[in-house]
Amino acid sequence: MFRYLRLKNRPEKIVPDFGVLTTEQLARNPDTPLTLRQINNLPENVKKRAYRNLLSPNLLTKFNIHPITWKDAHGEQCVAIKAEPESGVVEISAHKPGDSKGAFFTLEIADNTFNGIDLNLLLLNDPQGPYFQTDVDEDGQATLFGSLHRNLEEEQRAFQAGLAPGQVRPSLGASKITLQQLEVFLATLGHQAYFLEPLTYASAWIFERRGFAYVRGHQLMDEIQAQFQPGGRLQQALDSSTPFRQPKQNCSVRGRAWAIHDGILEAIDARWNNLRMVKQIGRHAGVNTFPEGIY
Amino acid sequence: MIEHCQIARAAEFESLSDFRDFIKTTCAGQAGIDDQTCYDLQLAVDEACTNIITHGYAGMNPGTIILSMEIFSDQVRLTITDFGQPFEPSETPAPDLQAIMEDQEDSGFGLFFIYQTMDDIQYQTSEAGNQLVFIKKLLPGDESQT
Repeated sequence: MFRYLRLKNRPEKIVPDFGVLTTEQLARNPDTPLTLRQINNLPENVKKRAYRNLLSPNLLTKFNIHPITWKDAHGEQCVAIKAEPESGVVEISAHKPGDSKGAFFTLEIADNTFNGIDLNLLLLNDPQGPYFQTDVDEDGQATLFGSLHRNLEEEQRAFQAGLAPGQVRPSLGASKITLQQLEVFLATLGHQAYFLEPLTYASAWIFERRGFAYVRGHQLMDEIQAQFQPGGRLQQALDSSTPFRQPKQNCSVRGRAWAIHDGILEAIDARWNNLRMVKQIGRHAGVNTFPEGIY
Repeated sequence: MIEHCQIARAAEFESLSDFRDFIKTTCAGQAGIDDQTCYDLQLAVDEACTNIITHGYAGMNPGTIILSMEIFSDQVRLTITDFGQPFEPSETPAPDLQAIMEDQEDSGFGLFFIYQTMDDIQYQTSEAGNQLVFIKKLLPGDESQT
């Protein structure tokens, strides 16, 4: 325990990163986590064996992609990995054979400052669903999920079609199986947790349901919940001043998410940034900041 | 194990009453847990969470505190998990009341109290957060409390 309440000045790294992974290191304590950089420094085919665990076989076979070869019936390669040697980042994406509108699955994970794991990106798009050009503005510039620029016309169409901010297509509905798969992979590496920064209110709410807790931002989520109640400042700011601030949007997760994406948090002198969530491997935190929430 | 319950709240002072209520509700009707034991657990969690709120999550929009409670036939095990700045563990086994008084600081009494009332205290940090565990032994065979 501790005698006095003194914060650690320099939090230690979770994993000692030796760069190159040797059989000797693997044979040592199996509880010591491995970094992605160590995996990325392995030969290509060894990497492929390791990263195959990031993709749910059921998800691939749903699109007639072979779970081992990652090819379709015509021999087209449908899964791509970016995992450069010396890099601590891996991106894996899968596209439906013959679909030119992008991947249905994109996942990027990375070693963080403390050699823990950050889930940087998870995109799960239904390739059968309609496409909305919210990722590119009227001038053809990337919107970065609406965080840098906005394509208001397309966003309005997406909103009316039932999408959440940041989505270009309806969701694939595979976040549960994907995150379970990720946990198995990270447990194999020896990690006890992983982290992410939720892009939108809707994604934070989904990650809560998947068992995440907050490193930062739980109080903000509580404040949002309180102020969207009848008479609250956010509820009052749903004044139809923009298409994304219509009355009754406070009743649903997506409605709140679009209003927040539209900057409604100014009404409580807050911004949607700097939230950070954590998932403990094998544990559900039980956080629920919008208990009566419907998506 | 007889019972395992968990609650997660934001690390803010408003959550302390939820934690107290959670402990009271979980203890209610459990064999071997009398009112004094329940009160000791509430106060220990109150002190520990106050420290996490005040120091661990200082300077940021606070994250989560997870309180889990496992009740066995011979002991209660309370685990407080947070994801703020970890505390510096010490080799020194327990705070010394005399030293706290000599320091003439307001802080320290909470820790002293925790050491006085809990049978075992463990603290560890990992990438999965900071875990503070309180163990309170229960009196054997006292079924009359139920």
